[in-house]
Amino acid sequence: MYTIKNVAVLGGNGTMGSLSGGLFAQAGIACIYFAPSREEAQGGIENAVRQARSDVIRDYIQPEPFFSLESMLPDCDWILEAVSENLALKQKFFHRVDRCRKKGSIVSSMSSGLSIEDMARDCSDDFKAHFMGVHFFNPPGRLPACELTFHPHNTERTRRFVSHFCEKTLRRVNLITCNSPAFAGNRIGFQFLNEAATYADRYGVEMIDYLLGPHTGRTLPPLETINMVGLDVHKAIVDNIYENSSDERHETFIIPDYVQRMIEGKMLGLKSGLTGGFYRTGEKKERLVIDPSSLEHRSLKKIAIDTIERMKLHIHDGEYREALSLLQHEDSEPLSLINHFIAGYISYSYARIGEVTPAEDGIHGIDRAMAYGFSWLPPSAWVDFLGGTKKTVKLLERSHVPVPKQLADAGEGRQCRVPEVGKYFLAH
Amino acid sequence: MPSKVYILGGYQTDFARNWAREGKGIQAIINEAMEGALNETAVDLGDIEAIHVGNFASELYIMQAHLGAFPLNYDPVLRGIPTARHEAACASGSIAALMARTEIEAGIYDLSLVLGVELMKGVDSQTGGNYLGTAAWYEKECAGIEFPFPKLFDRLYDLYEERYGVEYEHLAEIAVINYENARKNPKAQTRDWYMNKKHACTLGDYNRTIGTRLRASDCSQVTDGAAAILLASHKYAQKYAVKRGLKLERIPFIQGWGHRTAPIRFDEKAEESKGKEYLLPHTRKAITDAFRRAQIHGIEDISCIETHDCFTITEYAAIEHFGLTSPGEGWKAIEEGIIRFDGHCPINPSGGLIGDGHPVGATGTRQLLDACLQAAGKAGDYQVPGAKRVAILNIGGSATTNVVHIVGRDG
Repeated sequence: MYTIKNVAVLGGNGTMGSLSGGLFAQAGIACIYFAPSREEAQGGIENAVRQARSDVIRDYIQPEPFFSLESMLPDCDWILEAVSENLALKQKFFHRVDRCRKKGSIVSSMSSGLSIEDMARDCSDDFKAHFMGVHFFNPPGRLPACELTFHPHNTERTRRFVSHFCEKTLRRVNLITCNSPAFAGNRIGFQFLNEAATYADRYGVEMIDYLLGPHTGRTLPPLETINMVGLDVHKAIVDNIYENSSDERHETFIIPDYVQRMIEGKMLGLKSGLTGGFYRTGEKKERLVIDPSSLEHRSLKKIAIDTIERMKLHIHDGEYREALSLLQHEDSEPLSLINHFIAGYISYSYARIGEVTPAEDGIHGIDRAMAYGFSWLPPSAWVDFLGGTKKTVKLLERSHVPVPKQLADAGEGRQCRVPEVGKYFLAH
Repeated sequence: MPSKVYILGGYQTDFARNWAREGKGIQAIINEAMEGALNETAVDLGDIEAIHVGNFASELYIMQAHLGAFPLNYDPVLRGIPTARHEAACASGSIAALMARTEIEAGIYDLSLVLGVELMKGVDSQTGGNYLGTAAWYEKECAGIEFPFPKLFDRLYDLYEERYGVEYEHLAEIAVINYENARKNPKAQTRDWYMNKKHACTLGDYNRTIGTRLRASDCSQVTDGAAAILLASHKYAQKYAVKRGLKLERIPFIQGWGHRTAPIRFDEKAEESKGKEYLLPHTRKAITDAFRRAQIHGIEDISCIETHDCFTITEYAAIEHFGLTSPGEGWKAIEEGIIRFDGHCPINPSGGLIGDGHPVGATGTRQLLDACLQAAGKAGDYQVPGAKRVAILNIGGSATTNVVHIVGRDG
């Protein structure tokens, strides 16, 4: 039987380390935040305090520099790794951990997409038996999805314990993922985001964000999402998927040239401050948008397409089906483009069943990743809103995207198990 | 003999949602609550004969009155049926249910929808706090006072302190229990919030004093939410049960009710209670009325309670007024664990107003729904094992309007 009383967080200074470790502290578990220096670890503790909105959290977390690792890890029951997304760096830490951890302690990686088996390749058998991916989404205080990617050497007892602990103690919404690049949420989410970035080259950034905005079942428009995540992080994720996978939408993981040039020009998004990214704030505090051809920021153009404005009015009144029927029954280039993305999202999600999540979970694992990890309307909820499988297949055919067998065989009953999905349609 | 009035079921929206942030208005939340209730109960929309809406202050929060008319926009089938909006501050949802129940008992209708709704998050906390002041005598008790309601309930705290003494730790324990219970409720606003006794007892940036004594952790939440229930006559419930292969005795019904109104000014309440056993005698009377109408002896016949915990001190008062302890001894029920989820008489298994949330006009309806779920054994993770009869206290203002319902089943 596992008992988790002491938790080590490697990378407790980073966003994911500090906030994820904070969830353990919120459960009353003593944590040690390891960082390059004690001061940086203390900064991570303050992140955890803000997340919990409680000064009491400080009592549960101890800041330590990485050089204390060897002396303190032997007392830890769970070692949570959240250092930078770099395989060699993670492997280096895991070798250190393997040498000093106590046998039977859980070791988890917060990696959002690196191979679980590669990370533990040269570690001991006991390490491998207790090592797995436990990936939270940012910010974990608001996005409860938890991707569990078990190592083949994990016993059933260990798997059950970690699942139960994440669900009951850390209050996560679990989904089991396969050891595939970027697991489930990021594989599907970043396909959509990168394709949106590609289309922005032709249609403009604000037009793509307008067309694929919150009225299409997401909290944030796609390019605004990349801007917040960071263009460099976005590139690292899609490059990893491109290099390590091959599927029917493989080419949509190629970083657009203008995005590559933005990254080279340090236009990484919100974190770049004045140089910005897809958007930045101007001298008069006005919002500016990038022109993909010149890579210069300019004023936002006001866009208002009648059908989309009418969709928003329906959503404002909770008439979601009426809003979507406007998309299905009117024909224009912008609406076709929206349908292309919706159809693509449904198609790509269903096609990944069995590849990123176990086949026996059907669409429900992917649904949980998208709803609770991205705050997007889950793919099966789209099928329900569109009127069932047959009508959805017709949309996919009209939009010239592949109809996956997993969708065609899904049957006609209501598919989505995520409750209250109306909340994913926003009228902004 | 008046008809028994059954609660066929209903639906509560996710109280963690912020509908203003979603860009949605009153029609959206009403539509979702109605759709949920209709899906849960599977009644035919065309069978609904009357609709009663509980709402406190939509004119202030969202500049929209006349909410009785809005459920009809859900579907043209409903056009022409009688509807009304009811307002009694935080007891609005219960008053709407009282009206619906009375009409069914009188044999006027067989199936009524009761919908409580409030959108509160579209205004800042000071503005919202000021609007809540209209639940008291605004001109005399609230004008010019920041966050007047915590200050009014501070006075109840003062009264307890003067008469019996109150230890803050007991109030903190009430907050902790409500948050703990809310963690089991998938619709509760605070289900993922951090709370423990140490946090509740520690004053700091994240737990400030809101009134003069009560802290943020003692307060119910500012909530956007709606709850809808379907009330049915014996005749309708019988047909409903047969059609769905259910046993009628397993469907919860309203076994008793009490409704008493106290003077609106807190000063007068305090004055009136001098020399009396109970600090809130009208609240106590509403409770004993409900016990009498339900033909039960008292609290010993109740499985659990959903009470009005707008502040921890309100629940502290409810413990005694329900009769779980003698007046002045509410702390004993807290220390002995009686009100905990696994205690003899759990209070607010849903999380109550502190944990589940307090969309003012929806709260009474939400409490009735939770009582129905408990009595029907359908409350999921927050089901009190074996719950058969549930007592509800919903109060408006500073314990001005007091409504009590007893909901239970025969079988």
